[in-house]
Amino acid sequence: MFNYRFQWRQAWARLPEMLDGAIITMQVAVLSMVIGILLAIALTVFRRSGSRVLSGIATTWVEIARNTPALFQIYMAHFGLAGLGLHLSPYASLLLGITFNNAGYLAENFRGALKAIPDTQTRAGRSLGLSDIQAFRHIVLPQMIRISFPTITNQMVWAVLMTSLGVTVGMNLDLYGVTQDLNALTFRTFELFAMAAVIFYVIVKIIQAGAWLISRRLFRY
Amino acid sequence: MKTSALTLAACAATALTGPAFADKLDDIIGSGTLRCAVVLDFPPMGSRDSDNNPQGFDVDYCNDLAEALGVEAEIVETTFPERIPALVSGQVDIAVASTSDTLERAKTVGFTIPYYAFENAVVANDGVEISDWEGMKGKTVGATAGTYEAIWLQEKIEEWGEGEFRPYQNQADVFLALSQGQLDVTVSTVEVAEANVASGNFEGIKIVDKAPMVPDYVGLITLREEQGLLNYMNLFINQQVRTGRYAELYAKWVGEGTPADLTIPGVYR
Repeated sequence: MFNYRFQWRQAWARLPEMLDGAIITMQVAVLSMVIGILLAIALTVFRRSGSRVLSGIATTWVEIARNTPALFQIYMAHFGLAGLGLHLSPYASLLLGITFNNAGYLAENFRGALKAIPDTQTRAGRSLGLSDIQAFRHIVLPQMIRISFPTITNQMVWAVLMTSLGVTVGMNLDLYGVTQDLNALTFRTFELFAMAAVIFYVIVKIIQAGAWLISRRLFRY
Repeated sequence: MKTSALTLAACAATALTGPAFADKLDDIIGSGTLRCAVVLDFPPMGSRDSDNNPQGFDVDYCNDLAEALGVEAEIVETTFPERIPALVSGQVDIAVASTSDTLERAKTVGFTIPYYAFENAVVANDGVEISDWEGMKGKTVGATAGTYEAIWLQEKIEEWGEGEFRPYQNQADVFLALSQGQLDVTVSTVEVAEANVASGNFEGIKIVDKAPMVPDYVGLITLREEQGLLNYMNLFINQQVRTGRYAELYAKWVGEGTPADLTIPGVYR
């Protein structure tokens, strides 16, 4: 039996602190996506480069990022690197962990997108006098981004939700961390986490709406 | 005639099934099991032995209470932040989990009188130059999220306006971070600090000073409205001290010396 009386007023008073946390959550997610997309493009180029070393690096990265828990990746960014003498703050560890994860997933998404772009396009571009890099940059890349745009949006949503794993490495500035701190202080667990859930939901809805608007503007035929 | 027979049967059935508003104390006695939430990464209060069985001061305390009630004890492991959800959702009856009795928390759950009191120690990484607790100013400090010392440290950092506070999810991570140098200093209970320094699991840490806090009085908790159970547990805690069992458990789990005084001079309770 659920024996509890909700006290919303007490939790509601903490909303400003939670919204501050939500801003940090967004900040981490956006940064991790921007860096993650750039890294994923680099990994994609590595894989196409034909160099065994470069494609080896890219494959290892993608394999680890996709086949281990995000929690493990963030934990390693904090405690694992510290074991090697590199001390990262909780914020940096969380950002690094999520960025690593994003880059791995996005690289795989990009690979899928590339399969949908016929090789003949690159060859046509080459025959028109474009260099290899130019052909990739002007012909393949824009299409690759367009085709994988829905999965990029998904990854952005996933990045927002992954910030909640930051508490395991001592992060207390993001939405989940702030909620956890307030919970310890007041024991109003259900009210606080219900509010956090609603805020997360709204953030995700905003991202989806934003992505829809962007795709309508950028990808008109 | 038929109607009154039915009414009579209904009345009899009601009387036999007992009072409609049995409280938690009745439920425990009736079910024959007392389910206690205990934090098991908080030695010497709660930990696991080499066979992975729960052990510690809090575990014994729960067993004693179950024995007094004449029921079986069931230890349910929780983390500090999970104590309240476990209690409220009915997974456990009470928490014997070193819960600090703050006024803010007492708005939500029901506290007994203190069953234990902690003093806190300042523990630092060997590489950090610090001679007393005030040396924490400007350092990167951390503690287990949701504990009395974490709340105290966070307030201190805000008061000083410099340094950084990091809450970790469990005691082991705090000491790992301290040992690695991710944290400069932590504040933990003297019991935990001594156990961790003595265990040798965490290299390069030292106890520096006592933290100047009001002793951290901890109570047993249950749902706020369970006055019958709270009343029983208050008497139980009194009896534990009276019979010498409190001192016995202290000697068993914490070590030599006298256990903390659970009364506060100059006030009734």
